[in-house]
Amino acid sequence: MTLTAERTREPAADRRGRPKKSRQGRETLLLMLPALIPVLIFSVGPLLYGIYLAFTDARSGRNSVTSFVGLSNFGDLLTDGDFWASFRIGLIWAVSVTVLQFVAALGLALLLNENLRFRAFTRVLAMVPWAMPPVVIGLMWRLVYHPNAGILNSTLQGAGLLDHNVDWLNDFSIALPAVIVVGIWTGMPQTTVVLLAGLQGVPRELHEAGHVDGATTWRRFWSITLPQLRPVIVTITSLDFVWNINQFGLVYVLTQGGPGGQTRLPMLFAYEEAFRYGFFGYAATLGVAIVIVVLAVLGLYIGRQMREVS
Amino acid sequence: MRTRTALVAAATAIAALTAGCSSGDGGDGGKAGEPVSLKFLSLAWQKESVAANKEIVDEWNKANPDIKVEYIQGSWDNVNDQLVTSFEAGDPPDVIHDDSPALAGFASRGYLLDLSGKLPADLKSDIPQAAWDTVTFGDGKGGQGVYGVPFLQESQVIIANRKLLDKAGVPVPTPEDPWTWDEFEEISKKLTKGDTFGVAWPLKTPVNKVLNLALNFGGTFFQTDGTKATVKVGPEEREVMQRVHDQLYKDKTADPSALGMGTADPLPGFYAGKYAMLPASVYLRQQVVEQAPPGFEWVTIPPLKGTSADQGAASQTLSVAADSKHPDQATKFISFFLNSTNQAKLAKGDWLLPTSVKAASDPSMTTEENGWNVATASAKNLVVAPYLKVNGFDEWKSKVATPALQQYFANKITLDEAAKTLVDEGNKVLERYNK
Repeated sequence: MTLTAERTREPAADRRGRPKKSRQGRETLLLMLPALIPVLIFSVGPLLYGIYLAFTDARSGRNSVTSFVGLSNFGDLLTDGDFWASFRIGLIWAVSVTVLQFVAALGLALLLNENLRFRAFTRVLAMVPWAMPPVVIGLMWRLVYHPNAGILNSTLQGAGLLDHNVDWLNDFSIALPAVIVVGIWTGMPQTTVVLLAGLQGVPRELHEAGHVDGATTWRRFWSITLPQLRPVIVTITSLDFVWNINQFGLVYVLTQGGPGGQTRLPMLFAYEEAFRYGFFGYAATLGVAIVIVVLAVLGLYIGRQMREVS
Repeated sequence: MRTRTALVAAATAIAALTAGCSSGDGGDGGKAGEPVSLKFLSLAWQKESVAANKEIVDEWNKANPDIKVEYIQGSWDNVNDQLVTSFEAGDPPDVIHDDSPALAGFASRGYLLDLSGKLPADLKSDIPQAAWDTVTFGDGKGGQGVYGVPFLQESQVIIANRKLLDKAGVPVPTPEDPWTWDEFEEISKKLTKGDTFGVAWPLKTPVNKVLNLALNFGGTFFQTDGTKATVKVGPEEREVMQRVHDQLYKDKTADPSALGMGTADPLPGFYAGKYAMLPASVYLRQQVVEQAPPGFEWVTIPPLKGTSADQGAASQTLSVAADSKHPDQATKFISFFLNSTNQAKLAKGDWLLPTSVKAASDPSMTTEENGWNVATASAKNLVVAPYLKVNGFDEWKSKVATPALQQYFANKITLDEAAKTLVDEGNKVLERYNK
């Protein structure tokens, strides 16, 4: 929207000078208004309100008085052991899901890029997890992980790999890995599709030239496919990271952050603070802190990738 | 200029829209005699109990065409989140089914209507003071109020395999002369033979169970100094924790694999004779009656006695929202819904104990069948649980106590370490609420 506006404005300004430009600018603004109002009301407004809340001691309740407390929420956050534990879990979750998801999706994308039989069918099949809402995925996997009636326990026992039922989602050490597996499964389709699109954009001639020069398949993948895919990889992994660290619905349905907070992602922590214990101000602080962290991590990551490219 | 006009127009339109919404909301309030409608959020979930609830609502609607009650099905799993958001949005259900631990927080935040002085005398006198204590809380501004009507209570009893008791020559105790904890431990040893464990402690959610039973030895876990509550884990509090731990790891009379189970999960093993006794809440009898294989004989054993047989009690409650537009009609509905006849129906439907004295003397509540006599008699041991009055208990429970107790019973930390965590970390949590 802004791009088109810029483009139509500039030549006019060059030819006729200032007054015309400002009138046209006003008209553009007027035309944009219908689209701008919902954005202002439903996105920018709540965002600013959330940031404002982060600097208050807002609590739930009819007789609570909200006052401005400056940075004290941020101070509390820095010394809150539960927050750091949750933050650590959030990072483990986001990094491992993003990385493993990327590796698995790249493999799948390479496979689907080959000229296999039933290719159209398998491509559709790979999209299935994407078509499901997170709550349904959570419920489905809860059944898979069920200690007594779950298909996972009965399969593993049938294969002789396990001699007793494991309570996957309630075991202190297994719960987080079990949830991560679901996270990977859920996010694979979009990563696969994006990588597949990228793979199809890799010029065939490069591969042919490599082939003629006697490069092995592995060498061609490493020196041709991967560098060609780089922009796509940077984009999809950074998007995945943001999605994953802000993940809520899936884990809420699977474990509600249990057992004993072992899967309490930052967003679950914020949700509990706000809607279970009623500390709205503190929860808003958490939200702001996560935004800062995500921006910092992305800034570093994308900045480094860009520098390497140039 | 034009932009500004447009903005103003848009703002006016939005203001008009929102005004339209809110006036539509308040439109049905008003003059006496006009028919009103109430929303009733019920958390009943057992089939018989849902049927009993709906039946009573239908009966009311037939008798009171002017006050129409709409039954809304809620769930214990997410009732807190649902209520907090609807309270904050200003449109809560008029009549709310919940339990007394939840009411404490809601009351201090001003979400609920103080019912003291609003309830009819016969309802007030039908429910003993001990039960009213479980719904009397501070209003967050220094006063006290009654924030619900308590109607169902649960006590901890022991469900036992009759044949295994007979084989070991263990007589079934009466409510007048219950087992002490020491006797219980001896009997557990007698019953532990071969593949059979004497007892199974399902402690997936250990906090309320441990805190309620701790009162057997006078363990309160909290002390209040004026308005400020702090955690205390002294010898009285440690007694029950230590005894359960001993059964698991010293006497080896309790099955450690039952530890991670929820209340109903050990039932298949119990039917199969893997455990002889199952400490459980009275409502579990319903599942035993429905699911036990034919020929399985079971018996309800009265609550154990330490220095006393006292148990902490919480109750299920009906409350009126402070934002309700028809508080008087809502109170009238509650008074009808919880009269002694209806309480007997609801208690039977949920397999719990009625608070109403008249309902408890109903023949269906005192029959020996399915242990109703033992269950109903255990109501006299119920005293208000100290944690009910502690602001921030919910956060203490989920962040500190649940993990600490789980780790202690899994034998990963010692009793001293568990006690230290409960107190140190716990007081840090409570501090936020004491401000």
